[in-house]
Order: sequence, then structure tokens, then C-alpha cells
Amino acid sequence: MRDENELPLREIARELREPVPVSESFDARVMRAVRALPRHRFGFWLRLTAPRTITIKPLTWGVLAASLIVFAAAGVPRAFGALHRATRPIATALFPSSAKAPVKSQRVQFVLVAPDAKKVAVVGDFNGWDAQHAEYQAKHRGGGVWSVTAPVPLGHHRYSFVVDDSVWVADPTAPRVVDNDFGTPNSAIVVEELK
Amino acid sequence: MIVARVVRGDVEAFAALVERYRDRYARYAFHMLGNRQDAEEALQDAFTRAYRSLARCEDPERFGAWLFRILVNRCRTLGARRGRRSRTFVVDETALLEASEEHPADRAAWREEIDRALQQLRAEQREAFLLKYVEEIGYDEMSQMTGVGVSALKMRVLRACERLRELLSEVHSA
Repeated sequence: MRDENELPLREIARELREPVPVSESFDARVMRAVRALPRHRFGFWLRLTAPRTITIKPLTWGVLAASLIVFAAAGVPRAFGALHRATRPIATALFPSSAKAPVKSQRVQFVLVAPDAKKVAVVGDFNGWDAQHAEYQAKHRGGGVWSVTAPVPLGHHRYSFVVDDSVWVADPTAPRVVDNDFGTPNSAIVVEELK
Repeated sequence: MIVARVVRGDVEAFAALVERYRDRYARYAFHMLGNRQDAEEALQDAFTRAYRSLARCEDPERFGAWLFRILVNRCRTLGARRGRRSRTFVVDETALLEASEEHPADRAAWREEIDRALQQLRAEQREAFLLKYVEEIGYDEMSQMTGVGVSALKMRVLRACERLRELLSEVHSA
């Protein structure tokens, strides 16, 4: 019998490390619950990321931004002040001011069309892949278009959209890079100092 | 890789992850919650939550650790919800008897005493003790996992050890 004055913790721990098998039906129950979860979302978003499905050409946004700048420069009525402020980041991204130097990062606009999304964020190596980063939360601009303009350091980067805190979606307008080990889709971006 | 297959839509591949981790993690849930029914509920909940949030698993190589963190939280929630409920101690007698070669009755009784003493610890002390001594996790990782500072965790482990010694000594001297 054990010495009542010596109760080695290692012996207790060893006893507690004995496996505790689950009931035979456990696996089936888990898989039944998992199958009942909305699997179609993966397929839906994967289809959404296919380049043929959605195409937003940078040129389109460039023309739009340029038009807005011209419109603004011509003297924007006060009634359009709010619109001007909302679109200013786009213009800043495409036509950055040369007043501030040296420039170590550029403001970049990220756009995703996601009609059913409730939340869209941008994650990348420039923000630690943090889907909660305040600066990279996209706003719904109407018609299912989500966008955010945020600073990205000069250089090559990988990034992705995170929809509803759970689904990773590659940028359909950007080159894809090889998925990481986890299988999440990544896009590539090169940010250069504009002169 | 299994995780990547699941994320791409291969739901059935998730079964391999369940099979790989269920028994080891059932052990922690069982010791935390004190009975098999609650343990399996917490474990099943952890698996389904992991599946639902799989895209948020930043490091697929550490899926097991990530799943375990979810389980620790589920055990906390379930334990708090059922804290006032009287606990039943379902000891797997058959497994214990099979595991013991010489004195099955002694060993079964001893194991039951340990389980009973463990359930008398405060939940946070039991959690810290199990993570440290049974799961053999370092204090830094425990801190990341629980959101509790290292000093506080060391104190909880210390208190848990003292209380276990006290409870089990009482049993043996009786």
C-alpha cells in the first residue's frame, strides 16, 4: 500500500494520463454534427474567387477615381462634400500626394464584391494577418461592394480577404499565389513608391 | 494535409482529425468536468466549433494545440454552467481493471480517490494542475492558452498540489 505521508504528484499525474476512451458512437455523432454545418459556404466562396466569376479591372477604378478628382477640382458643391471625403482615399491611393517624403508605404484600396457578406476585412503580412485590425475593416459601399483603403508598406506582400470572420477569399482582381499549408487562398500585391 | 482538405470542402476528411485527437482530449475534458457525458459534450462542441472556424486556424501544423485551446474554453463554459449541479463520478471500472495487473481493486480504488479529490479542487486550480502535470504544458503556453498570467498560474498549481496532498492524505490515513 502507498505511504500515506508521501503522495508523489508524478504518480497522481501518471494515473490521470491514462486514456479516457470515448463512447463508440462519438465519431459518428461529431461527423453528423459537422455534416449539418453549412458546408456550401466553402464551395460558394471558392467559386466566387474564380477569376472568371468576378472581375474588377483596376482601370475601371482608375477612371472612376480620376473622374472624381476632376469633379472635385472643378469645385465641389457643399452637398457633395461627404461624397468627396468618402472617395478621397481612392484618389490618394492612385494619385498619392508628393508633399510628404520620404514615403515608406502607400495607401492601397482593396475591393471585394461579396453581396451576402456581413463583414469583410483584409488580412496580410502587412497587418499580421489580423482580421480584427481596425484599419483594415472594409465598409459596404452598396451593391455588395466592400472596400477599404489602408496603408501598405512598399514591397511584395501576400494578403487575403476574410469574410464574416471565417471565410478566406482571394482578391479576384489580383494575382493568386500558392495557397499556404492551411489551404487558405492568398493574393499577391506589389506596392511601389509612386513618383 | 488534412486541414487543407477540409477547408477545401472535403468534410469527410475531418473524421481523421476526430480520430486522431478524441481520446487524448477526452481525458482532459473528463478530468475537468468529472463525468463522461459532459466530457463528450464539451469535446463534440470543441470539434464542431473547430470545424466551423477552421479558416481561422493560423497555423495548421498546430491544429491539435488550437483545438485543445478551444476545448479548454468549452470546459470552462460547460463547467461554469453546470457548477452547481451535483456531480457524478463515472469511473470506467472495466478499463481500470484491465489496466491493472496485480491489484486491480486497489488500483481502481486509488484512481477513484484521485478523481474525487480532483473534483474537489476549485475549477481554476484543477485546470492549472491538469494542464501542467497531466498535459505537461509549459507555463508560457498555459498563459497564452488561458489568458492568465504565469505567476497566477504557478500559484494555482501550487494550491492545487497542496489541496490534492491534503485530500488524498486524509483518505489514506482514514
